[in-house]
Amino acid sequence: MNIMKPMKYVLVVMAVVLLFGGTAMAHKVSLFAYAEGGKIYTESYFPDGKPVQGGKVMVYDSQDQLILEGVTDDEGLFSFDIPKIDDFNIVINATMGHKNSFKLKKSEVEAGK
Amino acid sequence: MKTKKFMQFMMMVAVMMMVASPVAAHFGTIIPSDDIVTQDDDKTLKIEVKFLHPLEGHYMEMVKPKQFGVMHDGKKTDLLASLQAAKAKGPDQDKSFTFWQADFKIRRPGDYTFFVEPTPYWEPAEDCFIIHYTKVCVDALGLEEGWDAPVGLETEIIPMTRPYGLWTGNLFTGQVLLKGKPVPFAEVEVEYLNESPGNKSIVVPPSDPYVTQVVKADANGVFSYAMPRAGWWGFAALNEADWKIKHDGQDKGVEIGAVFWVHTIDMK
Repeated sequence: MNIMKPMKYVLVVMAVVLLFGGTAMAHKVSLFAYAEGGKIYTESYFPDGKPVQGGKVMVYDSQDQLILEGVTDDEGLFSFDIPKIDDFNIVINATMGHKNSFKLKKSEVEAGK
Repeated sequence: MKTKKFMQFMMMVAVMMMVASPVAAHFGTIIPSDDIVTQDDDKTLKIEVKFLHPLEGHYMEMVKPKQFGVMHDGKKTDLLASLQAAKAKGPDQDKSFTFWQADFKIRRPGDYTFFVEPTPYWEPAEDCFIIHYTKVCVDALGLEEGWDAPVGLETEIIPMTRPYGLWTGNLFTGQVLLKGKPVPFAEVEVEYLNESPGNKSIVVPPSDPYVTQVVKADANGVFSYAMPRAGWWGFAALNEADWKIKHDGQDKGVEIGAVFWVHTIDMK
């Protein structure tokens, strides 16, 4: 009779592990940015290389002012004209609130203007 | 009595060192200054290419490699021109030997597999040439893609465990390929790099078999080994080439090794 109890417990644990264990890793997002030919290009991706589609990109300057925002395309890409020569902090906000950011240095922006 | 015991102990140590030396395995080595490059890390890697006995720290003279490069995003880049000669010696060696180093700047996310094909090394003690095709993988900027891709070397180990972000005690699993095909029951030698940065104390093997661990692959050329210490671990799968190289006018056999290096850290 009692044999079902531990079984149930195991199943619940397994369900929880499957639900959260898997997603924690899969949803770690990253953004990479570089400046080239007057533009700043961003690429947003999951660790296995899948693009972050429809992720919100926010660009902050060295004064931490939001200067522009956009949405990643099907390939996880979003680009924009260099707004000014400055240090930028570029934030990617994927679904479910998974965020990461990338610091693009002024020197790199200068080199790519 | 105490002095006698101490003398006995010293004798034992001396004997152990004498016995342990000749069995050491040769390993081609590529050690990068970092194996996981994050946003805040220095993007310029320092890469050292050596030929040595990793546990005992004995260096061997290395002439300029035949091939040195990196594979990233499926593309190979030749880095041979960036290699510069340097000298070093092990703690109990009395002369220095040549090894090679290079700087490499990471520019994009993804995995970077560095590879080297050394110039054949003549080993009189084994009456053969040795060529160790050696690889190491560095991950950059959160994109974990590329580590399991073959470089296309004469012989190579394909990692089946992601080869970075490994804890001490993790199992490393790899597949041995020769001309792109798995090598059934390949013999794989495993050694700890005693000069690993951060190694708390030099590992002294209590007897010969501890110097080089030996595992055999299964019928698909797949082997595993659990790494018991933090630092760099080298895996060398050895095969006899089906070609010869001339030495003093005579055809000599060639030991070809597929070597892969991985780094572990303690869980804390």
